[in-house]
Amino acid sequence: MVRLSDLHPEEAAGMLAAAPRFGDIDHEATPWIDPPPLAESTICLVTSAALHRRDDVPFRFGDSGYRLIPDDINPDDLVQSQVSVNFDRTHYQRDMNVVLPIDRLHELHEAGEIGGVSAMHFSVQGASPNAKTFEASAADMANRMRELGVDAAMLAPV
Amino acid sequence: MISHYLQRNGISTTTISLIREHTEYTRQPRALWVPFPLGRPFGVADDPDFQRDVLHSALRLLETATEPTIEDYPHDAPDGGGDGVWSCSIQLPEPEVSDLEAALRSEVDLLTPWYEEARRRRGRTTVGISGAKPEEIDKVVSFIVAIAEGSGFKEIPASAQGPNWNHTFPMLVRFVVEDLRAFYQEAVTSQEGTKPPSQHDMHSWIFEKTALGQAIIQIGHQIAADDEQRLKMIRGLIIPEGFWKGGVSWGETPSGEERLSFIIRSRAYLAGEDA
Repeated sequence: MVRLSDLHPEEAAGMLAAAPRFGDIDHEATPWIDPPPLAESTICLVTSAALHRRDDVPFRFGDSGYRLIPDDINPDDLVQSQVSVNFDRTHYQRDMNVVLPIDRLHELHEAGEIGGVSAMHFSVQGASPNAKTFEASAADMANRMRELGVDAAMLAPV
Repeated sequence: MISHYLQRNGISTTTISLIREHTEYTRQPRALWVPFPLGRPFGVADDPDFQRDVLHSALRLLETATEPTIEDYPHDAPDGGGDGVWSCSIQLPEPEVSDLEAALRSEVDLLTPWYEEARRRRGRTTVGISGAKPEEIDKVVSFIVAIAEGSGFKEIPASAQGPNWNHTFPMLVRFVVEDLRAFYQEAVTSQEGTKPPSQHDMHSWIFEKTALGQAIIQIGHQIAADDEQRLKMIRGLIIPEGFWKGGVSWGETPSGEERLSFIIRSRAYLAGEDA
C-alpha cells in the first residue's frame, strides 16, 4: 500500500510541490465524451513511463514529445528513459505488462470485453516540470489516434 | 493533464491514478486510484489475472462514469507491496573499499550468469538506456569507476570510450548508473521460487551490501564537491531519498526560490543544453 504518507518525507514533499506543474486547469474546456460501448471500442495505451524503442531518440529531461510503441513490439526492444529513481522498476524489469499491459489488452479483446487493440501505443516522459508543454503533442497524439481508429485511451503513470 | 488535452481533441480517456492527491488536483475525466507502489500501475509482475482485472476496472469507467470520477480499486497488490521480506541469496564478497574497480568487476562477474539466465527466460533486458549495449557492461563499469574517482561531469572518461553513449552530461551519468543497477536487479530477481524484492528491498541491498552502492555514493560525494548547484539534482536521480546520508539527496533548493521554479530553471542544464 503506497500513499504519500508511506513515502520518504522528502519524496512526499516533492510530490506535493509538483502539483502546481499541472497549472491552472480550465475544466470547462474539457468536454465530456462518451465512447462507443466498451465491447465495440478500440483501445490504445498511453504510458508516462518514458518507454521507447532502443533506436528511438531517448527522452530528454522535460521532453514534451511522445514516442510510438508498436502493438507487436518485441519486449526486448523496449527501454526506459524515465529520470526518477523513486519508483519501483523491479516489477517492470520482470514483466512489461505491469506498466504496459499490451498482452492483457489482447486477452480482453479475445474475451470480447473490448472491440479492438490499437496498432500503436503512446509513451511520454511523465516527470515534466511543466505539464502544459504537453498540450501540442497531445493534440498530435489525438490526430494519430483517430487515424488508428482509436475510440478511447487508457492512460497509466509510473 | 494529458487526459484533458486528449479529450479536448475528441479522444475519450480513462486513467490509472497512483498519487490520489494529483488526481484530485487535476480532476481527470475518469480515474481508477490503485493502492500500489509507484512504478507498478497494474499491480504486480507475472500475475496476468490480477493485471487484467485492474485494466478492466479502469476501462469499465468508460461505460459507467457520467461525470469526472475517481474510483478506488478495492484490492492491494497480491504481494502487499513486498517490503522487507527479501534477502539476496547470491553470495557476493564483502565490498573492498580500497579497490572499487576490482570490487565492482568481481560483483559483475558473479552476477553475469544470473543476468544471462534471466534475460533468456524473459526474452528481454532493460539494460541499454545509456546507449551501451548489454554486452558492453564492462564499459559501463569503467564509466562509473572513473566518475566515482573524480573524472568530472563534462567529458566521457578515456577508459569508457567505445559505446555509442546516447545522452549528454550530466544526465548521461544518471543513465549509466541506471544501466548497471538494472543489470544487478535483473540478475538477482532471476532466482525462481524466492519471494521477489520490492524496490526498497533492492535499494537497501544495493546501498548496504554492494560495491555498486559504494560507487554510487562516491559519485554522490563528487557531486557534493562540485560548485554547480544544479548538478545536485543528478544525485537525487541516482540516490533515493533516505540513502544519501549527507542531507537531502536531491540537494537544497536555493534560498528564496520555489522548488519547481528551480527545476524548470535547471531543465536545459540537466538536458545538456546549457553547459
